[in-house]
Amino acid sequence: MHMHKFEKIWLTFGIGCLVVFLTVVGVSAFYLGNKPASCLTTINPEKVDTTKPFDKPGLHKVEGKEWDYELVFVASAFSYNPAKVEVPLGAKVKVIATTKDVVHGFEMAGTNINMMLEPGYVSEYTTTFDKAGEFLVVCNEYCGTGHHLMFSKIEVVK
Amino acid sequence: MAKAELKTKHQTEIEDSSSLKGTLASVFILGLFIIVSWVSVYYLFVDRF
Repeated sequence: MHMHKFEKIWLTFGIGCLVVFLTVVGVSAFYLGNKPASCLTTINPEKVDTTKPFDKPGLHKVEGKEWDYELVFVASAFSYNPAKVEVPLGAKVKVIATTKDVVHGFEMAGTNINMMLEPGYVSEYTTTFDKAGEFLVVCNEYCGTGHHLMFSKIEVVK
Repeated sequence: MAKAELKTKHQTEIEDSSSLKGTLASVFILGLFIIVSWVSVYYLFVDRF
């Protein structure tokens, strides 16, 4: 089959890019262990307030785990519990969140923490809070008339 | 029968329609645009916590 020299060049270029992009995604998923926030842990949405760890929302220090703190959030129309929380700078934190009623979002603006909270499921994301400042947590899934009023604040302090 | 002689001294230059130079250029412009976008979004992801 005759193929123009230029065609060979751009086909090599295109296939090469595809290989590089897919390798990066593959390494991220299978070597670094990145996965979607919903970890398939289930919870009875009617008993969130009495189920651990959601009976005590907020920041908790933990021992003997890969992370130093667990930051527990409970979302409900139209607020987050806790409404404000302080996290020490440099702490490795596992953010654990769920919802009591409808689907809510959990986006910590300006960071990679961006999860969907579904009733009956627990969402989690582990990361190191290495930038100081005040971060806004907003709901980015339309949840009802008070959707735009639904927020929380996370302060990363030295 | 005598042929009518065409005296066209000036030849009109016709570009070779099988040339793929323009295609190559546009493929690489688009390719570089995609790479720059992908890398900048990836950098944003890596830089944030």
